[in-house]
Amino acid sequence: MRADSDSLPRFVLRVVAWLPLTFAVWYLAAPLLVWPVALLAELATRSAFDWVKSVEQTGPLLTFITSLKPAEAASPAGVKAVLSVESNVLLFSFGLPMLAALILAAREPRRVRMLLIGFVILLPFQTFSVVADFLKNAVILAGPAVAAQTHISGWQRELIAFCYQFGTLILPTVAPAIVWVLMHRPFLERLSGRIKS
Amino acid sequence: MVSFFLWFLGLQATLFGLELTPWAQSWFVVPWTNTLAAISAGIVKLFDPGVLSQGKVLQSASNGFAVSIEAGCNGVEATIVLVAAILAFPAPWKRKLVGLAIGIVAVQGLNIVRVISLFYLGQWNFNVFEWAHLYVWQALIMLDVLIVWLLWVRALPRDPPEVTAAAAAAH
Repeated sequence: MRADSDSLPRFVLRVVAWLPLTFAVWYLAAPLLVWPVALLAELATRSAFDWVKSVEQTGPLLTFITSLKPAEAASPAGVKAVLSVESNVLLFSFGLPMLAALILAAREPRRVRMLLIGFVILLPFQTFSVVADFLKNAVILAGPAVAAQTHISGWQRELIAFCYQFGTLILPTVAPAIVWVLMHRPFLERLSGRIKS
Repeated sequence: MVSFFLWFLGLQATLFGLELTPWAQSWFVVPWTNTLAAISAGIVKLFDPGVLSQGKVLQSASNGFAVSIEAGCNGVEATIVLVAAILAFPAPWKRKLVGLAIGIVAVQGLNIVRVISLFYLGQWNFNVFEWAHLYVWQALIMLDVLIVWLLWVRALPRDPPEVTAAAAAAH
């Protein structure tokens, strides 16, 4: 279907109409949708840090198992404890149902293909956010005793803090919007008559 | 389009980096967040007098439930995205300034609706509050930014195609 110059309000209504369904599907299919993020997060963290031992997925939650020892006061005497950090991937992937609603509402050809491409493109961004969240918890919030074991320097901790903020506040919403704009240039040109390549 | 995206990403990263500085936090973000809480409380008091605001906290005097407006909920990041999108797009400066003024009001206006709706959702059902807070409203605010930007682009005067292409290439 071609969009004319007056179709923006109708497009917005279609997006709003699709959102409940896309959010429901996203939430119900979360264990499946999160699985590639778990694989990428494990690959990234175990490659970069020898103190990350494994990443386990339970539904939408990832648990990073490390070899880092918590502060002595945190574990009872005689008990060998290691630090594990949990991260909820849903917190960083809610842009997926938004992208799906935008794609379906635009009614362009090859929508299923676009949905799949959009899903794959967003995986590295979600992984970035999840890994930044894990690093923030392990390197900054777990305390100086744990941070010392990671051998991560002061400026690297600042970088982790920035990446966490960017990966939490900007990336989850902006990345899907950019992906949608890039995949719908002809639609946007018809909608606005302004955007040129 | 490539030039637009490079400018957009660069401006966004710069503005977001500036927002995180202690100077911007103390002189802009915190005062704005407190103002947002006060505006929200002022609107709610029109139909529900038992509401208080203190700093960035909006609280019900009757049951004690309170919401604290934190980073990500004050609309600053959404505003940054809109500002970057409007500034990066090739258009006359006068049009950009008008777009920024109206667009920021539109984004912050919806954000006030978000704060007030979360305040009441939290008193009604905490699970629904969490869902709306963490997922739904985040997506709706970004959708608002996208729609405002599309409306602004559509409202720009239509130049001859070759002029538009030349302006985009020169930007």
